[in-house]
Amino acid sequence: MRDLRIAAVADIHLGEDVRGHYRKRLEGIEHRADVLLVGGDLTRHGTLEEGRVVAGELRDLPVPVIAVLGNHDYHSDRDREIISVLRDAGIVVLDDEAAVLDLDGVRLGVAGGKGFGGGFAGKCASEFGEPETKAFVRHTRDIAERWRSALKSIEADHRIVLSHYSPVKDTLMGEPPEIYPFLGSYLLAEAADEQGADLVVHGHAHAGTEKGVTPGGIRVRNVALPVIKHAYSVYCLGEDC
Amino acid sequence: METPQYVAARVQRALAEDERTNELGIRVDVRGEQVYLRGQVSCSERRHQIENVARETAPGMRVHNEITLVEMLEPGEEEHL
Ligand SMILES: [Fe+2]
Ligand SMILES: [Fe+2]
Repeated sequence: MRDLRIAAVADIHLGEDVRGHYRKRLEGIEHRADVLLVGGDLTRHGTLEEGRVVAGELRDLPVPVIAVLGNHDYHSDRDREIISVLRDAGIVVLDDEAAVLDLDGVRLGVAGGKGFGGGFAGKCASEFGEPETKAFVRHTRDIAERWRSALKSIEADHRIVLSHYSPVKDTLMGEPPEIYPFLGSYLLAEAADEQGADLVVHGHAHAGTEKGVTPGGIRVRNVALPVIKHAYSVYCLGEDC
Repeated sequence: METPQYVAARVQRALAEDERTNELGIRVDVRGEQVYLRGQVSCSERRHQIENVARETAPGMRVHNEITLVEMLEPGEEEHL
């Protein structure tokens, strides 16, 4: 079985003011990668206009594109419409679900969605006290639960989790520790570790670092544009890698 | 003089919530009458807007715009996992 080359980026934060810039950087992607994963924060304000800019930049690429939304893409309460616009442009959008692509005979399963915060084992919020606190924690729990089922449903040669929020602290290094609970949750890592995956890709932590690992040993990569400083990173999966 | 921590908090909140910016990743430090802005954004127009919002929210203070532009190089070497 041949190797898979996964291009990944997050936090492209597109808008009218930068239309066309990112698209230019995707030229020739078919020579470098088999698929492009985009880990959320596609827009700045989450408006439908910005969603259309994103669809324009990512449509009709020579490789399939799989994306999730980020917190910015929810800001204007147009997240459902943005998802539709992206899907109409041929982009696979994961909203706590899985997709399996056949890439020239190699099956790649990707599961995920936006994710959410809550913090990391031993230093995190729990479902206790005020309804607001419980709702915050429950949101992440529900997401993790849906990711478990999504991962379980995948039958493929390789599995990747695509998220906006981080599953681990490792890739937050560089961010102020006080805001870690707003940057990710260990519950996301737990779901991946339980069901198994080859890689977790996320964004959101603009000041974080690229490389980390879950408690169960799955590689984690923070591909936020300000972190990777390239149009996208490429990760190779397979026997020869 | 207003307590520096509250000025920093107000500027940071404005940068996150003001429609012109909606930037969450900007560090705001206040020392005396000086406001320092640090972080990365993707174009110079956004960089200027952040400075404008910060000036409006911290009137009478000196704003130092140390925000840099996000580099976006050609894709580099692939990593083998
Ligand atoms: Fe972001
Ligand atoms: Fe984000």
